[in-house]
Amino acid sequence: MTVATKGQAMLTVTNLTRSFASGDGLVTALKDVSFEIPEGKFASIVGRSGSGKSTLLSLLGGLDKPTSGNIIVDGKSLAQLRDHALIAYRCSTIGFVFQNYNLIPNLTALENVMLPMEFNGHVPHERAARSKQLLDQVGLDGAKQQRKPGRLSGGEQQRVAIARALANKPKLILADEPTGNLDEQTGKMIFDLLHSLSRSENTTIVAVTHDLSIAGRTDVTFRLSDGQLVTDKSTK
Amino acid sequence: MNAFSRGIRNAFRNTIRTVAIVGMLSLSIGLSLSMLLAHQAIGQKITSVQKNIGNTISIAPAGIRGFDGGGTPLTSDAIKKVKSLTHITSIDQSVNDRLGSDTTNIQSSIDAGSFGRRQFRNEGGGGGDVAFGGESRQAPDLTNFTLPIPVTGSTNPLGSVSGSSDSSVTLVSGNVFDGSKDADVALMGKGIADKNSLKTGSTFAAYGTTITVSGIFDGGNTFSNNQIIMPLPTIQRLSSQSNTITSAIVHIDSAVNLGSTTNAIKNALGSTADITNDADTAKATLGSLQNIQNVSLFSLIGAAGTAAVIILLTMVMIVRERRREIGILKAIGASNVRVMLQFTVESITLTVLAAAIGIIIGSLAATPVTKLLANNSTSDTTASQTAPVGERPGPRLMGGGFRTHFNNNGAIRGIKNLRANVDASILGYGFGSAILIAAIGSTAAAGLIAKVRPSEVMRAE
Ligand SMILES: Nc1ncnc2c1ncn2[C@@H]1O[C@H](COP(=O)(O)OP(=O)(O)O)[C@@H](O)[C@H]1O
Ligand SMILES: [Mg+2]
Repeated sequence: MTVATKGQAMLTVTNLTRSFASGDGLVTALKDVSFEIPEGKFASIVGRSGSGKSTLLSLLGGLDKPTSGNIIVDGKSLAQLRDHALIAYRCSTIGFVFQNYNLIPNLTALENVMLPMEFNGHVPHERAARSKQLLDQVGLDGAKQQRKPGRLSGGEQQRVAIARALANKPKLILADEPTGNLDEQTGKMIFDLLHSLSRSENTTIVAVTHDLSIAGRTDVTFRLSDGQLVTDKSTK
Repeated sequence: MNAFSRGIRNAFRNTIRTVAIVGMLSLSIGLSLSMLLAHQAIGQKITSVQKNIGNTISIAPAGIRGFDGGGTPLTSDAIKKVKSLTHITSIDQSVNDRLGSDTTNIQSSIDAGSFGRRQFRNEGGGGGDVAFGGESRQAPDLTNFTLPIPVTGSTNPLGSVSGSSDSSVTLVSGNVFDGSKDADVALMGKGIADKNSLKTGSTFAAYGTTITVSGIFDGGNTFSNNQIIMPLPTIQRLSSQSNTITSAIVHIDSAVNLGSTTNAIKNALGSTADITNDADTAKATLGSLQNIQNVSLFSLIGAAGTAAVIILLTMVMIVRERRREIGILKAIGASNVRVMLQFTVESITLTVLAAAIGIIIGSLAATPVTKLLANNSTSDTTASQTAPVGERPGPRLMGGGFRTHFNNNGAIRGIKNLRANVDASILGYGFGSAILIAAIGSTAAAGLIAKVRPSEVMRAE
């Protein structure tokens, strides 16, 4: 429990509950979840399929609204954000990495990385320069930067997705099973990439994973079971 | 890269689909444009028909059948009675005669042929009085025989040229005289003038008088160019038909008063005259025109509606297909408006492309479509309208008639010759409708886009 005292909390979650109306009744995907993640830490969330991990990440990313409870990111309460501020939050404060990459299929790797910067109002030449630099940083070489996602491997697509998540220099990166579709070795490389980023840029990362060997190497791990937080163990 | 360029690029994302959609859209836009142009052309025709027909009434002596004789000629007094009625703006009056070789020194431009000679021999045997102004003659020398020349005394000189369609009578040289003032002047058909080497200012002899050629006209065909027109009182005097009128055309202020004025004239003249108006012709002509106009309007609405439905369904299909992509854009920070803009640009790109092709199709199809519509709806009317003209009572058939009935023919013939007016305005209509259709298509898309929740991207495919 030493971590929580280090630095300021980037993320504070209190009594978070999310229920869905489904068919005959109510499915509670998340029940009264509370935790805190300090700035610059790499946190992992583990749990069986259906335990509420993606639901939690959606709420943290402002893609969905909680039934009750509160989320404070970088000192700001998400519940208080109006439409416009919420869009700005998704665009600049956080960066999302998905299990199935979710790149736009008819845009090149470079254009995909440029998208969030366009939404953020950066001028075109700035977007292109920074996108190139980011793709170099995640290890996608020049020729592949001009390819569309369909002509890149899974690992390469996930590198592009990470570059896109970093585009607007977010404070918080949310990754939902980023290595889930990759072979073990590639998964490890992607994880190392995220890890080194969190170190060099002091970016806070929350990553959902199945892989316990990966979870074991993060700063903090949360385990979800049936929508409830069961353990809160620090590894480092 | 921005929402605009992405929208344009997305329009060409799937080549087969783009070709299919643009193909369907351009056909319906082209069809609606050609219908629009047809509708306009027919509208213009209706206006001109309304101006030109339906406001004249013909008066002819009861029972007269051209030069076959019969009937008692009208008198100037009867015309005066008609003139005093309301709604009448003017009356064109004419009296007919024929100049034979014994009454003039000029020759007809039409060769009699053997048929003409035989006819003449039969007539010479007796009963030719009406045709030859009541003068009796010796049996003529048939070897030198030429056809008599129709001569008309008229208050509306150029308007009384017979056998010519509406606006095709032109004055080749000289001036038109005042047809209501007695003077020894004549307008001469080009055919006779050429045959007798006469020019404006030349003189010829007729009825024992020297007549000056005041002008030469061209009626466009041999028959109409073989006529002489003189002032009404002059012919009445020279042919000893003073106070006689062989036909009159009454012009009234508006087609609306045609029925009532026709009845008023019938009451005034009683059984001495045949009164006919062109109401039926006008009705039939306008009726068929209005039918075509309606057909073109419904087709226009149908084709434009089809285009709107095509783009609407296309956009719904495209948005549904790209739900996930919309979710991604929203999840990484695009606003609803930005995504809607991108899809609107895509739909405008498709419709503008289709409009460009549709404008070409519409321009090429407009005139054929107009003609097709006109021919199909008026072929019956034309057949039934043309026949009675020849059977109408009165001397018009043989010469000296007015052009009114040719006007009617002209109006109907005009339908067949309808031309759509393809000009730059088609660009405005084409692209304007494209933007409108795209806007309609985009509203449905926008509604669906707004509904896509960004959290959907978290679900596996
Ligand atoms: N939009 C939704 N509507 C209804 N039920 C949902 C919805 N999203 C998630 N759930 C339910 O919530 C539970 C947690 O789902 P999820 O967060 O996706 O699990 P995980 O990511 O841990 O596999 C599941 O039972 C799932 O069926
Ligand atoms: Mg999940």
